[in-house]
Parts: sequence; structure tokens; C-alpha cells
Amino acid sequence: MIETVTRKRIEILTDKAFVPRLTAEIDRAGITGWTIVPVSSGKGREGEWREESVMGTDKVFVLSIASQERAEKLAEALAPLSTTLGFLLLMWDVEVIRGERF
Amino acid sequence: MFETAVQTFTSPVVLFFVLGLLAAFVRSDLTIPEPIAKAMSLYLMAAIGIKGGVAVAKSGIDATVLSALAAGIVAGFVLPLFAYGVLKTFGKLDRINAGAVAAHYGSISVVTFVTASQILTYQDREPGGYMVAVMAAMEAPAILSGLLLARGMGSKGGTQSFGTMMHEVLTNSSIVLLLGAFVIGMIAGPQGFEAVTPFFESGFKGILCLFLLDMGLIAARRIIDARSVTWRLAAIAIFLPIVNGAVGTTLGVMIGLPPGSAAALGVLCASASYIAVPAAMRLALPEADPGIYLTMSLSVTFPFNVLINIALISSLSVYLTGV
Repeated sequence: MIETVTRKRIEILTDKAFVPRLTAEIDRAGITGWTIVPVSSGKGREGEWREESVMGTDKVFVLSIASQERAEKLAEALAPLSTTLGFLLLMWDVEVIRGERF
Repeated sequence: MFETAVQTFTSPVVLFFVLGLLAAFVRSDLTIPEPIAKAMSLYLMAAIGIKGGVAVAKSGIDATVLSALAAGIVAGFVLPLFAYGVLKTFGKLDRINAGAVAAHYGSISVVTFVTASQILTYQDREPGGYMVAVMAAMEAPAILSGLLLARGMGSKGGTQSFGTMMHEVLTNSSIVLLLGAFVIGMIAGPQGFEAVTPFFESGFKGILCLFLLDMGLIAARRIIDARSVTWRLAAIAIFLPIVNGAVGTTLGVMIGLPPGSAAALGVLCASASYIAVPAAMRLALPEADPGIYLTMSLSVTFPFNVLINIALISSLSVYLTGV
């Protein structure tokens, strides 16, 4: 039986332009890694959007795994920016192997 | 005038753009894959840059080139001031959104310029190669003006420092490639360009057609989804390119540019950015609504310029110069 531990999976749906700002906050929270995942289209309160990389207006998911403590530190740092930058922050518990890495 | 309009509407470049608009309006599933669209835009930037550089290598840098550059930079700083006033009063936008939109209307659209160059060349009024350098020089000043209008003299770059934001603007891929290819063209000269001519000349018009098809699709789909643009803003998105185009063309004629280059300066003044400036404004003014500035510049002004205003500006340059 593989041993797993509980960690927080963090997902941030954001405009690609804000990725450097957000990943800097992830680094500052002491979280060791993140992954950028492109997304193609969607719909929100502002209406529909789709990937338009020529104009640089496309969105991405920033994914990361962290301990509860670091995830909360990140959420506190990002909360004041959420209205201005208009990103979506999700967190939930996941089981991971090699938990000491996160 | 009628002849100019006919030439515009029978140009394959314009017809492909119209096809893109129609396809989106009838809800066709036609799409250009994003990596291909990106590759086409890189090709077009490199081609227009290198051809401009080669043209300047041939003609040299003289007083005409320098005065065109100076006129372009001054226009880049000044045009947003007028746009801001109109957007605040008639458009009823708040300070932040008015500043963000004004920056778009002071800056330029490379694709509008390239389309205009094709149409003007078709009319035997090819703009001078140095207009590519003028175009590159006009990209940034309007961003500074727009930011100052939106935030005041003590402006900071929104979520990032002003220096970081300007770094983003000046190292934007389109600017780097355009200016880089321009310098390469100047260094290589006509002889060096011969070796790469088949790649940059043969495919240029065809790729521009496909790129305009994609832009037509994007412009129409964005306006179908538009929620933030009022009739007042739509009217401004047509009014500003008419006024700015007339001012730019007149300025070009006043400083002694030939008709094609004067028209090109008019087109640069008339065009609104939808590549470099939206990215810069998203960083610098994240509170501003991209649904307003992108829809105005891409879905109203861009089609208006391609379909109508380029022909008007071309006719004005002929009228003013008498050529």
C-alpha cells in the first residue's frame, strides 16, 4: 500500500499577463513549484472568452500543491489582489505521494 | 474616390477579412488554430520589418525620414489627449477606462498598416520603407500618455512598477521582432535580402490574407459577445480614426512626405492597437475593462479602417498633394 499525505491543490484561473505576479507570490509563500496550463475558452460574469494568443489576452491555469500552512499564506497574500486582477482561486484537499516535497 | 473604393473592395486581403467577418456572423465553426495564427503574425512582423530595413538601406536616412519619425512620435503623445477628452465627455467613461482606451487610439495597429501598405502599393502609392520605423516608434508614446491621463503624474504601473511595465512594452515580441528585422534589413541591404526574398516576398500576400481571415473571425466573434460597448463608444470608435487619420495625413503632407507615406502616417494615426497596448494596459491598469478597449479597437475601429477609412485616407492624401 502506497503511503499518501493530504496537501492542498491550488488552482488559479488568470489572465496570462498576471502570471509573473502570481508565481512571484507563490514563490514568496515558500511553495516549491507551480505549473502553467493553457485553457481554450470559457464564460464568466464578463461574458464569453476564448484563447487569443495573438493579442495576448488568453487565460491560463496556474496549478500548485502545498501544505495547508503555505496554501493559507498564499491565499492571504492574493486575497487583496483578487478584485483588481480578477482571477479565480480554488483550493481543495488532495492525496499526494512523497508528501515531504510539498 | 470611387476607383479607390473599388480597388479596396476587390483586394484579396480585404475580401478575406470580409469572409472572416461573415463566417463568424453566421456562426460557422471556421477557426485558424492559435499556434498557426501566432506563427503567421511572427512571419508578417519579420517580413514587414526586414523589407522596411532594406528600403531604408537603399534610400538612406535623410531629413524626410527624420521628420516622419518626429511627426509619428509627437502624434503618439498627443493623439491620446484628444481621445481622452472625447471618451470622458461624450463616451461617459471614467478616468481609468478613458485613459486605457485613449492609449489604444494613440498607438498603432501593425496589421492595419500592412493592409494599408498593400492597398496603397496596389494604387501605385507604395509608402516609404522608413514608415516601418515610424510605426515602431509610435507604439510606446501613447502608452505613456494614456497612463498619465488615467493615473496622473505620479503614475505607477498598476500591479507592477512603471519600469517593469515599460520593459514589458518595449520587449513585447512584436516590437522586438519588428525592430530586429528592420535592423537586419538595414544591415543586409538589397543584396543580402536577395537570399531570403523567396521566403519573405512570395508568401507574404497569401499569409496576410489568411491572417486577415483570422482577424475577421476574432473581430466579429468579439463584437457578438460584447457587453460593455455602448452606442456612444461605438460611435467614438469610428469618429476617432476619421479625425486622427485626417490629422495624420495632413501632418504628413505638411512635412513633405510623398502621398503614399503621408497616407501611411494617416493610417498609423487612425489605427488603434489591439496587440501590444492591451497587454500593457492589462498590467498597468488592471481595473480598466478589456471588454471596452479591445472591442472598440479590434471589433469596430479595425474593420472600419480596413473596409472604409484606408480608402478615405488614400483619397485625402491624393487630394492634398494633388498627385
